[in-house]
Amino acid sequence: MSLFQSLKNSHTRLQVFAGTLLCVAALTFSSCSGGEFSNLETLPAQQFLEKPIDFLGNTYSVRAQIDSQIKWEKGVGRILAVLPEGSSKRLPVFVSEVVGDNIHIGQRFEMRVRIQEGGLVYVEALRKY
Amino acid sequence: MLKHYASISLSLLGVSSLLVGQGVGSSPAFQPAPAPVAQAGGSAPTSGIFESNTFLESANRAFDPTSDSMNFEEGSFVWKGRSFNLTEQRAFRARFERFLLASPSSEEQEYALLMADIMERLSVENTNSDEAMFETWELLFRASRFDSDGGNSTIVANQVFNAWRIRKESRGISMSQRELEQLRVTQQEIVANREFTLRRIRERRLLQTSASNRDESETKSDKEAMPSEDAFRVLDLAETEAKIIALESQTALNGLQAKIQFQSQIVSFFMQRRFQHALVLSSFYQLIFKGSQQQLEVGKDELSSFFPNTDLTFTVDTMAFVSREAINDINKGVDAVNTAYAEDRSLIALERLQETFFLGEYSPELNLIPTQQRRHLLDLYRGMIEAGDLAEAKDYNGVAELVEEISKLASDFPKNRILSSLETAKSISDMAVFAASQYRNLGDIDKAREELQNAIEVWPSNPAIREFQQETTKMATVGTQGVQAFDDLISRQDKRAIFERRLELGFALSSDEARLPIFTEVVEQVARIDLLVKQAEEMIKQGNDYAAWELLVEAAKVDQDDAPMNRARAELAPQVADFVLYLNRAERQTESGHYAGALAAYLAAQDVYPASRLCREGIEATSNALMGVLKNEAPVAE
Repeated sequence: MSLFQSLKNSHTRLQVFAGTLLCVAALTFSSCSGGEFSNLETLPAQQFLEKPIDFLGNTYSVRAQIDSQIKWEKGVGRILAVLPEGSSKRLPVFVSEVVGDNIHIGQRFEMRVRIQEGGLVYVEALRKY
Repeated sequence: MLKHYASISLSLLGVSSLLVGQGVGSSPAFQPAPAPVAQAGGSAPTSGIFESNTFLESANRAFDPTSDSMNFEEGSFVWKGRSFNLTEQRAFRARFERFLLASPSSEEQEYALLMADIMERLSVENTNSDEAMFETWELLFRASRFDSDGGNSTIVANQVFNAWRIRKESRGISMSQRELEQLRVTQQEIVANREFTLRRIRERRLLQTSASNRDESETKSDKEAMPSEDAFRVLDLAETEAKIIALESQTALNGLQAKIQFQSQIVSFFMQRRFQHALVLSSFYQLIFKGSQQQLEVGKDELSSFFPNTDLTFTVDTMAFVSREAINDINKGVDAVNTAYAEDRSLIALERLQETFFLGEYSPELNLIPTQQRRHLLDLYRGMIEAGDLAEAKDYNGVAELVEEISKLASDFPKNRILSSLETAKSISDMAVFAASQYRNLGDIDKAREELQNAIEVWPSNPAIREFQQETTKMATVGTQGVQAFDDLISRQDKRAIFERRLELGFALSSDEARLPIFTEVVEQVARIDLLVKQAEEMIKQGNDYAAWELLVEAAKVDQDDAPMNRARAELAPQVADFVLYLNRAERQTESGHYAGALAAYLAAQDVYPASRLCREGIEATSNALMGVLKNEAPVAE
């Protein structure tokens, strides 16, 4: 009985451990994929336009549609004009060559951006939605 | 350059006076112009030949009150293909105006009735006994007492009386001639009988004596006695015959003289257009002289000019016929005048009246034209003469005023045609003055003078010519102070003032190599600003405020201190505030080197006005700059 009970307890512990592992894995996965955008604040586009210097160094999430490509430089990246959700004004964003690959006009992306010097909206990561 | 303008100014009056009457000789004061001055926003005018005579030709036709049958240049009046001497136009005008000023009196009506009665009495239809003719002849003295007659009836009466006297003398001569012829018969008989008697005596004696010697001596004594007695008888006969021949010659001479005098007077009356008197005298002639004497012996040359290209035999009947025809035409002319006037066709009435007046100046029929009608036509006649003179002098304003008055007097006067021609002539002159101004401003003095000549030729009293003259004079005067004024203005950066005084300053600086480029640049800048501001105003009218703003921004780049441009911007700014906000922000960001922020502002501005050229250019510039920065920096991506 004690052996049976002992075996039974050990099985329960294994189950708990496995479940814990699964939870950790799931959390890890979510933080490594979609989860890294969901934790970020959405960039307040209107305020940013009025005074970009106030947003320097911050990281935001931007959900936007690609309006046009303003400039592309091989080995550097591209400057895109995007229309953020909920905004009537377009924003210029820079997508480095290592971040973006094929980006087409009209596509919708969720982007993690960092506001850099000069008010540059630097796209660190993006994904279609 | 200054001296050229001074020469224009000084020689303008001379040019004006020369051009009015003749083509302009080249003034030595004018010299070829140097290089053109500032463009001053003016376009080069087009030079051309203006038809300055168009109005004059039109005016001459319209304002000439004389009819087509009158030719004052050749001094002739043509009636039914026959020419009358019209004498000088001025003299004719005076007589015509005198007629229009006169009022027909009852005395003139009486005279007309009397002349009609005389002509009726002389008609072949009536009794033409010596007594009746004498009574008619006496009426001539009554007619001569009227002023309208001018004593011409007395001349007729004298001619008739002279013919009668000559006829009476001829009767006396005929009596003497008959007596002489009887005497001649007697003398012829005496001479013939004497010779017969002597021959019979000699034959009887020859029979009685036989001795031949004795016969010879007797015959010899007879022959010596016969010539003396016989000769006297023959001499008497010859003398008688000579007297008869002399009387015959005198009779023929008297008859011819009377006929020639009569005919001469008829022709004279006809040539003077005294057709009634010509007709009366012709009628008397036909009654006094027999049918074989009707052919005209005098005035053939004068009459030939009335009947060219014809070989007619001119007779007194011809003169009577033509005179009667003229009187009929006068009557018809008077009717036409009265009818035209009654139908409010005063211009036609005036033309027809002149023809009728010239033909029937001495005819009582003209008295049928009422006084009031004459006064009206006189006003019209004087108005047209004056308008014609003004048109000749090219005083178009005066012509326009008179045309209005004339059209009130004559509804059939071609008022609109004249006014239209007048406006055309004025426009041509104005265009020439404008072209002259343009050429002057460009420094092309020769062409400026040429255009001015055109303007003066077309319309010498054009007020624009005087303005041009004053402007040029002012420019020449002010030009001397122009350099100092320019330096003052440029030191104050008052470009607008320089632009507004560009003409005078242009003269002053035309040969100043240092200041001229600056002056030219300033004028061009302000002209461009003006152009852009004008375009902006047009855009605002079309409801395109953002485009207007962009034009003003463009103007501000030329000179941001220009007052009219800034005023326009201030007025427009509230309407385009959102757009301007982003543009200004973009500019500030660009100046700070924040190209990403500038790019964001430009994109926002473009969202307001998608067609914005400023935004397109700004996006291009800032994106290039931004990419350049990113290229030089390492990516910040984590």
